Amino acid sequence: MGKPKFYDFCVHAVPDGENSVEQLAALSRHLGYSGIALANHSDKLPQSRPVLPSTHEFEVFNGIELVEENPSKLHSLIGKFRKSVDVLIVHGGSENVNRAALENPRVDILNHPAFDRSSGLNQVLAKAAAENDVSIGLTLRPFLHSRGPRRVRLLSDLRANLDLARKYGVSLVLSSGAMSCFDLRSPMETLALAEVCGLEENEALEAITIVPERIISRNRPGPGHIREGIEVLEEGDFF
Amino acid sequence: MKRLLPSLRAKKRYLAFELISEAPVSRSDLVKEIMFSASSLLGDVATSKCDIKVLGFEDWKGIIQCSHTKVKETRASLATLTRVNGKKATLHVLGTSGTVKRATEKFLQNHLVFEPEIKTKSKTAEE
Repeated sequence: MGKPKFYDFCVHAVPDGENSVEQLAALSRHLGYSGIALANHSDKLPQSRPVLPSTHEFEVFNGIELVEENPSKLHSLIGKFRKSVDVLIVHGGSENVNRAALENPRVDILNHPAFDRSSGLNQVLAKAAAENDVSIGLTLRPFLHSRGPRRVRLLSDLRANLDLARKYGVSLVLSSGAMSCFDLRSPMETLALAEVCGLEENEALEAITIVPERIISRNRPGPGHIREGIEVLEEGDFF
Repeated sequence: MKRLLPSLRAKKRYLAFELISEAPVSRSDLVKEIMFSASSLLGDVATSKCDIKVLGFEDWKGIIQCSHTKVKETRASLATLTRVNGKKATLHVLGTSGTVKRATEKFLQNHLVFEPEIKTKSKTAEE
């Protein structure tokens, strides 16, 4: 097995964050990532679609983080953006939105589901997430920037969600949630912090390598792909 | 005073790091900030077990010493460093080693500190 490839699946660039895509890409490449997903919030999209500086070693995926309070509007937004992006993230934060996101198999990741007095997940939602293969996104940014009681709260929410995710087999995605270059952390630091926060070593590694790869391969079907479950493996003239 | 026998000395790891920050940072500010973020993430008791010390820091690069069983905790607490002296900063660990010499040779000597462009650009944005 070669060196694992690390991905950061939630990075915000101008005008959502502070730095440009090029700067974020350059720094995350320097830190040791193989790819990042540009996921600006849907209420702060740039006028024109940014040019993604991808090379063969380092790829910038096209993503979006949908912000919408109304579940039916959220579903229509998902339908609108699904075809054009590689990574579709929903910004959670209320019971209705979490539920709508986790019950829609076209969603890839649900970020920060926690809302007041609840970690955001329960057994019903966790089961739905596992069935529809929606991952729970853990963003590092809040853990880096909060101190004291707020971080305690974040950590206990994280533990509660982890327990549910383990029980029902929900996949996790670790990302930086960076708003600027200074929010990016190298993969090893991300793993160390995740382990200190309660993830197991292999869970954390999977959340930053295998799960993102799976999301990309699911959204970028190969040339022989016809529809889910049907694929042409070998071209041949049978007639 | 008699020096402790080598077999009785605490085993250590040395983390070579680079600092990416908006403005130049003095060593004492960095030390203060590292200890603060470690004790706020891990608590005072666990931080004392990590035995974190900043051995040298100049030209954006340096070496941090920690206990050899607590590398993970040390790295995690270094990751939570977000500001030094009010200026945004990120600490990037380049690698770990069992000796200072090896850490310097392997990670610091040929390492070019990353992108002055981000530093300058974020500075101009502030002005």
